[in-house]
Amino acid sequence: MNKNKEQLLNKRYNAEQRFRLYGLSAIFMALLFLTIFIFKIFSTGYSAFQKTWLIVPVTFDAELMMLDQNPSKEDLQDADYYDIALKSMADLDPNANEDQENELKRMVSYFFEKEIKNELLNDPNLIGKTKEVYLTASDDLDQVFKGNYPRDLPEDQRRVSDYQLKIFDQLVANGKVESKFNISFFTNADSREAELAGIASSFMGSIFSILVCLMIAFPVAVLAAIYLEEFAPKNRFTDFIEVNINNLAAVPSIVFGLLGLGVLLAIFQLPRSTPLVGGITLSLMTLPTIIIAARASLKAVPPSIREAALAMGASRMQTTMHHTVPLSMPGTLSGTIIGLAQALGETAPLILIGMVAFVNTIPGSPMDPAASLPVQIYIWAESAERGFVEKVSACIMVLLGFLIIMNLFAQIIRHKFEKKWS
Amino acid sequence: MRKNGVKMIKIKAKDVDVFYGKKQALFNISLDIEENQVTALIGPSGCGKSTFLRCLNRMNDVIDICNVKGEILINDFNINDKSCDVVRLREKIGMVFQKPNPFPKTLYENVSYGPTIHGMAQSKQEMDEIVETSLKKAALWEEVKDRLHEPGTGLSGGQQQRLCIARAISVRPEVILMDEPCSALDPIATAQIEELIDELKKEHTIIIVTHSMAQAARVSQNTGFFHLGQLIEHGSTDKIFKNPDNKKTQDYITGRFG
Repeated sequence: MNKNKEQLLNKRYNAEQRFRLYGLSAIFMALLFLTIFIFKIFSTGYSAFQKTWLIVPVTFDAELMMLDQNPSKEDLQDADYYDIALKSMADLDPNANEDQENELKRMVSYFFEKEIKNELLNDPNLIGKTKEVYLTASDDLDQVFKGNYPRDLPEDQRRVSDYQLKIFDQLVANGKVESKFNISFFTNADSREAELAGIASSFMGSIFSILVCLMIAFPVAVLAAIYLEEFAPKNRFTDFIEVNINNLAAVPSIVFGLLGLGVLLAIFQLPRSTPLVGGITLSLMTLPTIIIAARASLKAVPPSIREAALAMGASRMQTTMHHTVPLSMPGTLSGTIIGLAQALGETAPLILIGMVAFVNTIPGSPMDPAASLPVQIYIWAESAERGFVEKVSACIMVLLGFLIIMNLFAQIIRHKFEKKWS
Repeated sequence: MRKNGVKMIKIKAKDVDVFYGKKQALFNISLDIEENQVTALIGPSGCGKSTFLRCLNRMNDVIDICNVKGEILINDFNINDKSCDVVRLREKIGMVFQKPNPFPKTLYENVSYGPTIHGMAQSKQEMDEIVETSLKKAALWEEVKDRLHEPGTGLSGGQQQRLCIARAISVRPEVILMDEPCSALDPIATAQIEELIDELKKEHTIIIVTHSMAQAARVSQNTGFFHLGQLIEHGSTDKIFKNPDNKKTQDYITGRFG
């Protein structure tokens, strides 16, 4: 009898041991996957925050720029910089033939003419003089410099010719290649050229969409939740509404995209590809999430508080507005931020309403065409150039950072409001 | 209080039936409650005494499936009438609950809430006075006067309950309903509250639901005994405890059931 009991006890201990082990290994697996994921993104993405510059001597020859003596500011604006730009690149190899000169030109971004122009506009005294100017390297050379480009491929499979590599290596040897923090990644809009592409447009697009989404979804959802929880009679009709709100939360996001396309764009004729439409579409998606969170936190307010207020002679409205709603706010707000974070990472509905278009301007308002961060990731991931690979990871890092900040904010709000009365 | 030897009746319940859905919780309750007296409602759990108490300020309205029939006259006005406004009614009839339920706000805000929503103070000074007198009447002033702007939820259980009483009397109600106000408190806090009840009956009519027969005997002048939704017997506390008419009352009082 006693022995039997001992066996039973051991069995129980063993079962608990095993269960702990399963739990630990589950956590270990989850952490492992997360680490691999983050490591992969950081190791591919970090180099996108560096940009390669070629330092090229430029002679600001007034004759080549078709400038008269003592040119005015407008003259400088309208001057022809193409020839001096071409010449400075060609001068890198005095013995270059015409084909090679062309190749030399392609070692820098097509933006190089403008970079030279800006240099002169900043300092008009440079006319007739020679100055070493920083020019953005082409994305292929950028990748070569970062060591992401395989040099041992046969030449015809490479986008960088042997001749370009030779000149580039000379420049590197002379210290004329420099790597600096990539500011343009944050200030430029999207571009077909990987070395110029930035996230400014999609970042602003995301912010505008989220703001529109917040301004629509939050008041509507909170009012709906308050009405359903505090005022609506409990009958079949409200049950029906409740079931449908829960169903709405489970609808695939692309369906909301179709709704946006069919209603907002086709019927209301709102401007395509804009954060306004994107935000409205996302708000439809966020609504059920916020309603459910707000109702749950209203439900969590103890009924004794409602009774206390009612027994004091407060009307239902006063009870709700003075007591129940303020007490439920922390939960509602963190639910809202979680809903917004979800919306921030949403791609499918935005693609359908045209926010996938190539946008090379930075939007100034929700009515301007824009992309959004997740869509930008999608666009770049589709591009063939090697330069975009690191940009995809870098953009994911920015998006993750954005999400982490939002979740942190949700935590802070929760903490701050709950601490006050505990 | 008696005027010219005649008992003044404050509340008159006539044939009150209460239904929760199809289940009847109270049967035909008729009960007179005297002014400026403490009336205790006793009985075993689930007998309907709290339900009856909640009829008196129409707190049962909150429960969707609850249905109250019959007349309840307060100052000869039927509160179950359609023309009765519950906000005005609850201003006149305060309530203290079983579990102390101060608002999660400061002490000051707790007490000033009622006067604020009913517009009883014209100035900050007047409000300060109301808060002070209410807290003094609730015998809490000395303990909390230095921390009026700290959260009410930080007080001890007994202090919280006295805060709830202060909150209830801040709007100078005619009647105070107390639903087992001491059941969550220790004996010392209970004694303080009982003392307070005795003091409050000078200005208010008090109806208290209690599980403790000793408490009913200590604080009340009249007692009603409920059993299974029926009012078995009511009368002066002395009579109910010493010489009840009904066998069931006697059994309950002497601890044979319940």
